[in-house]
Amino acid sequence: MRGLLPFLGQRMLFILPQLFGILLVSFFLIKSIPGDPAVLMLGPTATGDAVAALRTKLGLDHALPMQFWYFLVDLVHGDLGTSWQTTRPVLEDLLQRFPATLELVTFGLLLAILVGVPFGVASASHERGWLGRIANAYGLTAGALPDFWLALVLIFVFYTILQVVPAPLGRIDFAVLPPPTVTGFLTVDSLLAGDWAAFASAASHLCLPVLTLGLVNAGPILKMTQSTVERMLHSDYSRYEVLSGLPRGMVVRHALRNALPSIITIISVLYGYLLGGAVLVEIVFSWGGAGQYAVQGVLNSDIYPVLGFVLLSAIFSLFVYLAVDILYFAIDPRIGR
Amino acid sequence: MLNSAATDVSAANGGTEATAAGPPMLAVRGLTVEFAAMAGAAVTAVRDFDLTIQPGEIFGLVGESGAGKTTLARALLRLPPEPGRIAAGEIRLAGRNLMELNETEMQRLRGRDLSMIVPNPRAELNPLLTVGEQIATMTRVHLRVPSREARRMALDMLRAVQIPDPERRMGAFPHEMSGGMAQRIVIAIALICSPKFIVSDDATSGLDVTVQAQILELLRRLVLDRGSAMLFITRDIGITAHFCDRVAVMYDGEVMELAAREDFFFRPRHPYTVMLMAAFSHNQRLRRMWSRPEALPGAAEPAGACRYVARCPLAQDRCRAEHPALRELALGHFARCHFPVRP
Amino acid sequence: MPEAEATTGAIAETGRTSRLATLLQVARARPRFALGYVIVLAAVLAGALAPLVAPYSPVEANPAEFLQPPSAQHWLGTDAVGMDIFSRVIYAPRIDLAIAVAGTLLSAVVGCLIGAWVGYHSRGGGLRGWLAYLVMRAADVMQAFPVFVFAIALVASLGQSVQTVVLAIAFVNIPIYLRLMRSQVMTIREMRYVEASLVAGLSDARTIARHVMPNAMGPALAQLSVNVGWSILLTAGLSFVGAGVRSPTPEWGSMIASGFQNVVTGEWWPSVFPGLALAVTVFGFSLIGSSVELFADPVKMRRLTRDLAARRRERAA
Repeated sequence: MRGLLPFLGQRMLFILPQLFGILLVSFFLIKSIPGDPAVLMLGPTATGDAVAALRTKLGLDHALPMQFWYFLVDLVHGDLGTSWQTTRPVLEDLLQRFPATLELVTFGLLLAILVGVPFGVASASHERGWLGRIANAYGLTAGALPDFWLALVLIFVFYTILQVVPAPLGRIDFAVLPPPTVTGFLTVDSLLAGDWAAFASAASHLCLPVLTLGLVNAGPILKMTQSTVERMLHSDYSRYEVLSGLPRGMVVRHALRNALPSIITIISVLYGYLLGGAVLVEIVFSWGGAGQYAVQGVLNSDIYPVLGFVLLSAIFSLFVYLAVDILYFAIDPRIGR
Repeated sequence: MLNSAATDVSAANGGTEATAAGPPMLAVRGLTVEFAAMAGAAVTAVRDFDLTIQPGEIFGLVGESGAGKTTLARALLRLPPEPGRIAAGEIRLAGRNLMELNETEMQRLRGRDLSMIVPNPRAELNPLLTVGEQIATMTRVHLRVPSREARRMALDMLRAVQIPDPERRMGAFPHEMSGGMAQRIVIAIALICSPKFIVSDDATSGLDVTVQAQILELLRRLVLDRGSAMLFITRDIGITAHFCDRVAVMYDGEVMELAAREDFFFRPRHPYTVMLMAAFSHNQRLRRMWSRPEALPGAAEPAGACRYVARCPLAQDRCRAEHPALRELALGHFARCHFPVRP
Repeated sequence: MPEAEATTGAIAETGRTSRLATLLQVARARPRFALGYVIVLAAVLAGALAPLVAPYSPVEANPAEFLQPPSAQHWLGTDAVGMDIFSRVIYAPRIDLAIAVAGTLLSAVVGCLIGAWVGYHSRGGGLRGWLAYLVMRAADVMQAFPVFVFAIALVASLGQSVQTVVLAIAFVNIPIYLRLMRSQVMTIREMRYVEASLVAGLSDARTIARHVMPNAMGPALAQLSVNVGWSILLTAGLSFVGAGVRSPTPEWGSMIASGFQNVVTGEWWPSVFPGLALAVTVFGFSLIGSSVELFADPVKMRRLTRDLAARRRERAA
């Protein structure tokens, strides 16, 4: 693994300025949304004095650059501010909601991989067969479906008509006691606690949203797998393997291995994107995730939840990209050595 | 069963001399490869090609780029370059008709009985696998030996192709090798299953002259030691003079002249062969006499004409009207010309 | 001189006709590409002819007829306040297509211009090189944002209207074109003909306009159609959370949102039909995108023509 650390170090060097840039832009963007939090918090009947007092208390009477500075100072001390909507510290809110989103997105993406990669490989290796056609059609269709609409259709079919899944209201039945929080993933936590009722409830609530995200996001994964594996199968070394009489299955397997970096890249991009992008599905299923929290923040001039969410998802993406770099490094001997 | 019997025969012969008794190692009859075009007629890259190569023989095939050499080489493995396809012909390997095999049988045969050495090997090797793995895979797949044995055989083969420090090189990746090294790896892959026949397509084109000489010598010895036979395809007519038992020149998909080495170089009969040799000459008059630089090679010829007519300094009316057949002018010396050059 | 021009003209002519012939052959062999153009054309026509075709007003509610299932009077039924869904669905392209196309074009123009400038100066040092570097880092920051939250925030801060949705869509798409153009221009910048133009005394701006841009546009153009489809989805998504076009303006996303509660109770039509129209339209744009992609890829094109020739041969045999 010689060479991995400098390789990663170099990557990290670009990250901090980028995080700063993201915070800067989001701060000024959200601050430019019309609407005074103090007025919103106190309601329309509040007196001018009360509003002014609250503004002072919230630090809103300072100039914007100063407010940003105070935010950064608090951030360094681990304080992400307070949401006026929930009246709780943003960090606490996010620690509760982020795992909800993460659980949804992770399982959704796993399903997408399970559908997209095998289908993509099959269609690339039978380019002109019926499997290739189906895969092509699926790739185009999946990319065209609005996920929030697909979620509604699935709810209609599986909840309203067939009644095989619970109502789209949250992550677990109200009657079921959620397991003690360890990872924040209800499925994992309930398994850890050995609580089968909680697990069954959490899993059945996950079904439809995961199906939605999986079906929609399998599209890009399938397309990428198909096009890269196809390119690899037309490459010099695949042709040489065929000339050397290696069995078709082995040639395809090697092509997939050579295509893995591109596939991993698209998966990581989707992972980062879905943290915020799954918000529509979260809304449909009243999931109470982090994306929903941030969108509520934007719509109600509640700045700190938004900043916290942006920061957290940027940091998360950062870890995803780090993991991707390590994977590249493990797969391709030409990188970083 | 037939297969193993044939191997025994060629091994018993010691591989150096051709016997009239056994079938030839490779016999090609009427092989034609066509490329489909979007509009109009298909383009023919290899036309009605005949070739017979005996056990232990190294056969040189010379041609300019575009003559159809690579197409022929890959067609022999029934994998012509896309979008080409074999339109007609028969390929027999030690008596066995390859055109009658199904794709699985062909796949088992490639690399096992009939293998190919490719040019530009650094692009041809899988960049993500060590060269040791790539060599060992061949015996694991084709000879079904266990992994440990496959590794040992690969190591032996690396020694046989004279790679220094073979233990360490087993774990090297293709991008860590020089062109000459990679060429040796490709030779190792082609030879490790001791195939009956080897097709070498321009295998030494990218190498330094000194490395080239070493590799040719190595290749010759390995082929003869194993009782195989080889078709050695090259653009460089000079290589064949030292290296091959018989030599043929190819032009626009056809053999123009074919002869034993001495005959070929001392008594060339086809104007095209003479032109190729004159190109090496210091005598400017000779060079000018045999070439017509204003003619474009590969220009469309009328269907019934000699393919070489546009570039031939000796062309006459008959050459434009009638396509010449490959005739035997002396024992074992063939030329495709109405008016062969006198020896 | 005139003679030479005449010959090149002739060559160009034959090139064009054979390309057209190929195009027709491909269209016949791959009917799904033709389908893409048909779908998009249909969506455009629906929007354009809506006032003539629509049986009801798209914005007037008739509370007496709320949540009617599809019937002869209301082909696609009515929604919770009694608006005719068919009329609203065919009026919607006026908003959705207009926003998506305008937003995409705006981002393409701005992104390509900036990208060309950045690509042209990326390798140079000095103030311009430094500025080019800064632009790229800004693009990094923009792309690191959660797209959806960013778009909502933009709309919220600029005030909710059709124009701001266009701006938000343009803004989040700019980095795509910026990057595409930059990498193209950086390659082309090294070409001899660009150097020749500079040596011949043309200014930077003229060189970019005459020699660099025309040769670098390909990938950006290929991106356009797919991007329009994607922008339609984004527009609908914004409306769905209430940060886009406001009801009762007929728009697919907000229609889906307003029928959301009804789906759970079994009245599926207010949401399903607009979503279907939305999905089909986006599907059409991605078909067009993949046809453009095919035409731009000589390798794939060659493989396809080979297949077609083989098929023809088989049919003949």
